[in-house]
Amino acid sequence: VTVGTAVAFKHENQAGKEFMPQIFDRSSNALARMSLVLTGLIVIALGVTLDQLQRSPWVTRQGQRPDQPVPFSHKHHVQGLGLQCQYCHTTVEKSSYAGIPPTKTCINCHAQIWTNAQLLEPVRQSWATGQSIPWVRVHDLPDFVFFNHSIHVNKGIGCATCHGRVDQMPLMYAQNTLQMEWCLDCHRNPAKNLRPTSQIYNMAWESPASDRPVWCSTTGDKPGVPTAESVSCTTQDPTAAGAQVARLQLPMGGAEGLAGDVAAATVPVAPVYRKFTSQDELGHFLLVQYKIRTPKDLTSCEVCHR
Amino acid sequence: MSGHISIDGKNESMNKAGNAVEHETKSAPTPMTLAEVRQELKGVKGKRFWRSVDELANTAEFQAAVEREFPSAAQEWVDPVSRRGFLKLMGASMALAGLAGCTKQPEETIYPYIKQPEDLVLGKPMYFATAHPFSTGGVPLLVKSDEFRPIKVDGNPEHAYNHGGSDPFSQGTLLDLYDPDRSQHVLFRGENREWAEFAEAFRLKVAATKDGTGVYFLSSTITSPTLARQWKAVQAAWPKAKLVQYDPALAGTFLAAGGPGVQYDLSAADVIVSLDADFLSGASYPGFHKLVRDYAERRKHPENGMNRLYAVESMTTTTGMKAEHRLGLRASEVPAFAAELAKAVGVAGVEPPAYAWTDQQQKFLAALVKDLKANVGKSAVLPGLYQDPSVAKLALAINSALGNVGKTVSATPDPAIPLPSDQLADIKSLVADLNSGKVDWLVILNANPIYTAPADLNFADAFNKANVVAHLASHLDETGQISHWNIPAAHYLESWSDVRAYDGTVSIVQPMIDPLYGGRTAHHVFQTLLNEPMLSPYDAVRETWKPVIKGDFETGWRKSLHDGWIANTAYDKTSKSAADAVFRGTVPVPASKDSLEIIFRPDPNVYDGRWSNVGWLQELPKPVTNLSWDNAAIVSGATLTKLGLDEDDIVELSVGGGRVKAPVIVAPGHPDNSVTVHLGYGREFAGRVGSGAGFNAYLIRNTWAPLYATGSLRKVEGKWGIAITKSHYQDHRGTEFGEKGAGNNSLEGDEALGPRGIIRYATLEEFKANPNFAHEGEGRETPQYDTSLFPNWAYNEANAWGLSIDMNSCTGCNACIVSCYAENNIAVVGKQQVRMGRNMQWLRIDTYFEGDLSAPRAHFQPMACQHCENAPCEQVCPVGATVHTPEGLNTMVYNRCVGTRYCSNNCPYKVRRFNFLLYSDYETESLKLMRNPDVSVRSRGVMEKCSYCVQRINEAKIQADKENRPIRDGEIVTACQQACPASAITFGNINDKQSRVTKQRAEQRTYQVIADINTRPRTTYVAEVLNLNQELESAPVEHTPAKG
Repeated sequence: VTVGTAVAFKHENQAGKEFMPQIFDRSSNALARMSLVLTGLIVIALGVTLDQLQRSPWVTRQGQRPDQPVPFSHKHHVQGLGLQCQYCHTTVEKSSYAGIPPTKTCINCHAQIWTNAQLLEPVRQSWATGQSIPWVRVHDLPDFVFFNHSIHVNKGIGCATCHGRVDQMPLMYAQNTLQMEWCLDCHRNPAKNLRPTSQIYNMAWESPASDRPVWCSTTGDKPGVPTAESVSCTTQDPTAAGAQVARLQLPMGGAEGLAGDVAAATVPVAPVYRKFTSQDELGHFLLVQYKIRTPKDLTSCEVCHR
Repeated sequence: MSGHISIDGKNESMNKAGNAVEHETKSAPTPMTLAEVRQELKGVKGKRFWRSVDELANTAEFQAAVEREFPSAAQEWVDPVSRRGFLKLMGASMALAGLAGCTKQPEETIYPYIKQPEDLVLGKPMYFATAHPFSTGGVPLLVKSDEFRPIKVDGNPEHAYNHGGSDPFSQGTLLDLYDPDRSQHVLFRGENREWAEFAEAFRLKVAATKDGTGVYFLSSTITSPTLARQWKAVQAAWPKAKLVQYDPALAGTFLAAGGPGVQYDLSAADVIVSLDADFLSGASYPGFHKLVRDYAERRKHPENGMNRLYAVESMTTTTGMKAEHRLGLRASEVPAFAAELAKAVGVAGVEPPAYAWTDQQQKFLAALVKDLKANVGKSAVLPGLYQDPSVAKLALAINSALGNVGKTVSATPDPAIPLPSDQLADIKSLVADLNSGKVDWLVILNANPIYTAPADLNFADAFNKANVVAHLASHLDETGQISHWNIPAAHYLESWSDVRAYDGTVSIVQPMIDPLYGGRTAHHVFQTLLNEPMLSPYDAVRETWKPVIKGDFETGWRKSLHDGWIANTAYDKTSKSAADAVFRGTVPVPASKDSLEIIFRPDPNVYDGRWSNVGWLQELPKPVTNLSWDNAAIVSGATLTKLGLDEDDIVELSVGGGRVKAPVIVAPGHPDNSVTVHLGYGREFAGRVGSGAGFNAYLIRNTWAPLYATGSLRKVEGKWGIAITKSHYQDHRGTEFGEKGAGNNSLEGDEALGPRGIIRYATLEEFKANPNFAHEGEGRETPQYDTSLFPNWAYNEANAWGLSIDMNSCTGCNACIVSCYAENNIAVVGKQQVRMGRNMQWLRIDTYFEGDLSAPRAHFQPMACQHCENAPCEQVCPVGATVHTPEGLNTMVYNRCVGTRYCSNNCPYKVRRFNFLLYSDYETESLKLMRNPDVSVRSRGVMEKCSYCVQRINEAKIQADKENRPIRDGEIVTACQQACPASAITFGNINDKQSRVTKQRAEQRTYQVIADINTRPRTTYVAEVLNLNQELESAPVEHTPAKG
């Protein structure tokens, strides 16, 4: 039934046989069809737009550098001065929170250097008045998400994996969306992001490739000893001359007496190194060594939502 | 109880059920009329279970309630909002719902420390030992502190007294700390002042009197040895200054009067007799935590023998309901009954008043005496705290005559409280002094006499005759409103003090947080009058224990703070005191059988009113009656009928010149011609939560009868509108009522007993003859893996969480529920919402009464999410908001939930709770400090339920993974398990063959509830075993209610 006839029909019913001119031209049928199609398209477009909007930096704040009370430069402090992450983020290995440094941490150095810098006025104010420096949160998860830093860094997820090259950020921004799909992407296949725990704080870590292999050795699983302590990895070929360094670190655990006291039999044999030339190989090796839970476990809702 | 053993009972009802089904095919089911039910009830033998009086009688209202998923009006928009307003709200919320997913998160600010405390790891809680200084004895605590905010209060697991157990009061004190209505400023006639101004004014005033004449202190019972020491110093310096202690819930009891401290060791008692001693339901009874633990310990392995509990009681309490044999007596009959018992077991000097005991009472006494004599040295008789002091003396004499002293009972010469006094006489003389103008300064310490003082004293009139009244209190309460000086009191979690536990062990009360509102303590007030007025309570407490702590003081002090007690301070149990089998004194004569007796008891939830503003405790359904948000005139069914009343009718109670209007409710088993009223309600200035709830029973409580009085009752017009949570969340199988079961009980009764067997128990003899009784005939627990449409999950990897509840140990004390409130950020919804059945407790304690209305037994069954492996709720959720985890948890994903409530509809256990409105308080600042940061605060439109404390599971999993080890058994403790003073709850990994929960599940008595529909619940129950005395076994059913 087209629109035109429908109206005419209706008119006839209401007004009997009285003649009334058609209100709509025949061309309005085409218009009606087009408008139906257009409506559909608009709905789809709206959906797509909202979907894109939801993932856009406008919503996720990905890549945005909010105004901070002090324009703190991670680039300067990490790359320039070589501060280790944990100098400020002290509890990243112990707790769910990595920790935001207290004013005292800033003052440790800035009582000595740049003591008159205008930029650091809020820090000095904070120190003098006892009021916190009101940092704007850059990595902000929703309140119904419970994220734990310590388990990630203990199991081979490096800082840069989520936070990006912080050492190259003059002003802090979120490298990633921190949206659920992004989390799940890794929880479904952690192997693609695992790295040796010795490289957690290495901002410049790159996945192994044929031109930059990684060698790892393992002393086997020891219950009660953190898995990270059983794996030793190096980017220097341990069979070449530089291997001494890597090997010297090994017999430390448990040897309380002098090195000379250790009976010859207890000196561990030289570790066997495996060479990895791709992230996939290394990731799956570490997945087993670090006893990473299965994707089934890692994607269970209660892991992050309680 | 009949001679039938439970298996017979079951088969009988099953047979009847079979017949009924055949019959049912012929005619449509029709609800039975009340008369028909009565006809059916007549002459029926066998176990009968029911949960409320409505249910027993199967009233039309009850039938209607059964048909619904949620109780009446729970699903309807009944708030006074117009339809138009409702549509507007709907429109707005739909717009918000659509946009909520797309809006940006608000920008958040991080406020770091200036100097971070060295030992603080943000995100890791710390635990500190302290103690809750409760008037019946300190409760040693271990408090969880997040960023130095106390967020969870639990018993100290290493303390020999409570082993980690706590009680509803102690749990509730956390919300009391963060109560937004606490008094926040020092005020003088309504104007802001400083503490120093008060201290100066007070000190100068007292100095001007030279000897303290006219200076009066009115304090709640002093529990702190340091405070007692400070008072003695004040008294030495100002000999005419007077201290009056008045605690409405202790005045007139043997505890306040001092006397020897008596300790019971129920772990060695085979026969326990309660003479109106409600020692299983809460901390109101001194030594509750230890008593309930020892009691339960002797019931955990019936195969190794178990104790037997006799209860003689004047109102229905959980103690009586747990007892093997219970005798309901009117309160005034109890001393006479105790005297009869004393005489029968050979106590010298006792002359029981002549009284016409019924045959049944005589039979009970005879059997009791016989049993006690057969268990010489292995029994314990506990006197009621709210009984005439003669009962305590009689009980000690009975224990002495039975050779229990030195074995199950020890008496020490030390009084249980540091400054015993006759509180009623003292407050009387205070009022006399006030009226004669002798009182210049009245300093009230943590007491609220305007509200709690006995009615006959006219305290409010006398109060105005004091020149200056200073009031140290946590709230601007009834007394605070008319006092001149108001000094905010520091909470015990904010201040230094000390207290002795029931066993005498001294605990230091150490603060967890700086006073939120600059509160002060009684220590400060007394110290103001001493040589060093600025000496802090901390220094005062240290001074007290310097001579006691052995070795290097600093080391010993730190150890005491760390451990939570000072070593070697428990009462000496070996010391002999005057405990001979002789009774000196008189036994009061019972009141006439026709008179109406009114019994006053502190409330099981808000005590004497001090916790009126604690929403958790207000909303908590009271044991036995399941009443929340109110107190009531509690009577027996027969008395209700005799007086021509219905439940919820309003009556006017009068004692002496006092009158008060109260709603009536029935407590099954309550003695006839007797009314129990709970104190602590009817507050005018309690705060936003407690003001206006219930009625003020202090108005009819007088100095001449503080524990029970003879009074009268008359019906007045109207209905009160009480909120009772029982008979809520009925299963949706009302039409089956006529079909299944014997027709002599309710739907739930059938299910509790019949094919379903929600409650399964046996007598000790039955259990010994047939240890497998809990599974007899049914075999329903065998999971059927091939009948479900859904794929089965093996759960054989890693962990599989399970919970086991020992029905023999649970006494229904409610500590678990309050603990769950704190741990899981559960909202308080208010009375009107509770009336609609919208209360949010994740855990409830189902009370199944059994037997006659006038003499029932009850079975307490904690009921929370069962974490079914084959969960009906998950199968109907359209958005996957409730799903299973690989470890077998039925988990809720709040941010996915759209509020269809299908899951709740499909839950056979009715344990899901829905946020019909925005119940969580997102606004009040002080409450934000209290929340558990590891648990989401749920908003409107979200379903929630027990999570097995998944936040604790995940914390332990992360820790174990980091340390590369399996989770240890006992490493994860659920909040309910942690609080349980009876250790009735066990949680753990059922894949670990060595875990405690696996062992408990392997017990033959273990059964599952409603497992016949193949839900495969992870929560299991260990069936009860009752150690009945053969001579009394059939007594309760034969008991006839008093003739009206």
